Amino acid sequence: MNRFGAIALGAAAIVAIVAPFFLRRYGIYLISMWAVLTIAAIGLNLTLGYAGQVSLAQGAFVGIGAYTVALLTQAGWPYPVAFVCAGALCFAIGWLLGYPALRVQHHYLAFVTLAFTTLVFLVLRNEEWLTNGIYGINGIDRPVLFGWSTGSALDFYFFCLGMLAFLSATTWWMLRSPWGRAFLALRENPIRALSLGLDTRRYTLMAFAIGSSLGGMAGALYAPLVQFIEPNSFALGLSFNLLLMVIVGGSGFFFGPFVGALVAVLLPEWTRFTEGYYLLIYAALVMVMMAFCPSGLLGLVGRVSKAMTRRAPSPPLLRVEGTDP
Amino acid sequence: MSAVLEVSNLRKSFGGITAVNDVSFEVREGEILGIIGPNGSGKSTLFNCVLGQLLPNAGEVRVDGKPTTGMRPCDLNRLGVSRTFQLLQVFPQLSVRDNLILAGQEHRGSMLSRLFGRSDAGLGDAAERMISFFQLSHLAGEQAGALSYGQQKLLDAAMAFMAGPRLVLLDEPAGGVNLTMLAHLRDRLRAYHVERNATFVVIEHQMEFVMALCTRVLVLAEGRVIAEGAPQEIRRNPAVIDAYLGH
Repeated sequence: MNRFGAIALGAAAIVAIVAPFFLRRYGIYLISMWAVLTIAAIGLNLTLGYAGQVSLAQGAFVGIGAYTVALLTQAGWPYPVAFVCAGALCFAIGWLLGYPALRVQHHYLAFVTLAFTTLVFLVLRNEEWLTNGIYGINGIDRPVLFGWSTGSALDFYFFCLGMLAFLSATTWWMLRSPWGRAFLALRENPIRALSLGLDTRRYTLMAFAIGSSLGGMAGALYAPLVQFIEPNSFALGLSFNLLLMVIVGGSGFFFGPFVGALVAVLLPEWTRFTEGYYLLIYAALVMVMMAFCPSGLLGLVGRVSKAMTRRAPSPPLLRVEGTDP
Repeated sequence: MSAVLEVSNLRKSFGGITAVNDVSFEVREGEILGIIGPNGSGKSTLFNCVLGQLLPNAGEVRVDGKPTTGMRPCDLNRLGVSRTFQLLQVFPQLSVRDNLILAGQEHRGSMLSRLFGRSDAGLGDAAERMISFFQLSHLAGEQAGALSYGQQKLLDAAMAFMAGPRLVLLDEPAGGVNLTMLAHLRDRLRAYHVERNATFVVIEHQMEFVMALCTRVLVLAEGRVIAEGAPQEIRRNPAVIDAYLGH
């Protein structure tokens, strides 16, 4: 990581820690939502940005994770166990969802995963014996972790932020290993990768499974954050929104999801003064950005700083994108 | 000398066209076998059948006596069979160094051990040596996509050698490469051959390249082997001249 990146990261970390003390309840709720959605977007960025597998199912995995945690904790399971179960269940389902990706790619794969999202939504809505259908699940408690009650908005925010730090560090570590290189190879040239001994089948399934698992863990935080879940929250809209976060932030950049989720959470709030028009303005801004900067906001930062420095010596080793400007 | 690769009675048809028709040959340890033939004579199909990219309709492929017909390309590669492609196949957004590490990393340990292993999979030095062997040192940190076509061809070949393969199949290594780069590539392939007693199979159109590099040449026409022998014999063989010049 170069100096500029390190300073930016340090400053962002300080802001994330200090900000809630200057915010009211709703503001803290928003930044907690940012942390949770960032985790889900990191998962999608792994599947889509690094391994190149289009998925419109990330919202469904958030839903599966949220319902798993809600149902298990209300059945009396301790939260940490329920959290791990949510991650493990989504890992397994994500692995299975990866099988279609071995046969179809790009927009065909998008359709397959879109169908999966619809399927999950229908199960959540119709299987009332399990999910309570359209009435949703109410009164989800915030966990008490080793004597630390996360009941207040501030405590729960720091719990979410801690999980974000832990999960993103784990993802970073994984992407620095030879696996990161293998995922990129999958995106760049699967045929050549196969001829170099890379078991593309296993890596594709693994990319789906890990990405989905992160979605599930985000869901496991989402449920106690909002304390009331219902099927509509996890319909196609959320999957599209997560995809938007990855692309707006910069697909394939490590810190892309952090930026993308921030835009997706804050921009609608900032444009709220326009009342009825705020979604319209939001949509227009996204369209303009996609037209002029398809590589996302971090891609834009990269272009600008490259234009300013003009041929700095290129960094060695694997580029875990987003670290270099 | 033992046969590294044995192909017997291989046949592959697409609909009504038989692209490879009852082809048999073997490649002995330490030789450079050239496969030539006019366009559409079945060279690339033959390669793809040998390498597991296509499933042959009949016949058998053996590597070191072990049947490999229908084996997945990644498993075959881990047995020591490596290849380059006719059209450029590097990873454009990875650096030259990472392209090479990637070419070797799947041969080290298990998938799980790689996750917990070093970032360069312990191949940093080997990659550096390969880079200097192909004289790409000044480009080691560049993205592969930023290299010239000829340099990418060199990288492509270097990647095929990275895991210390038993057998390398090169599909038109000279295609689209300028004469200076071509001489350089030929020189590097020959040096590698001498240094490691490596075994190559080369598909090529460029006659001079084949005649200068190969120890034995096989000629395909319309899916069949029509001649086989030392380069000098092939050059004078009437059946070969006929196949190339038409009827």
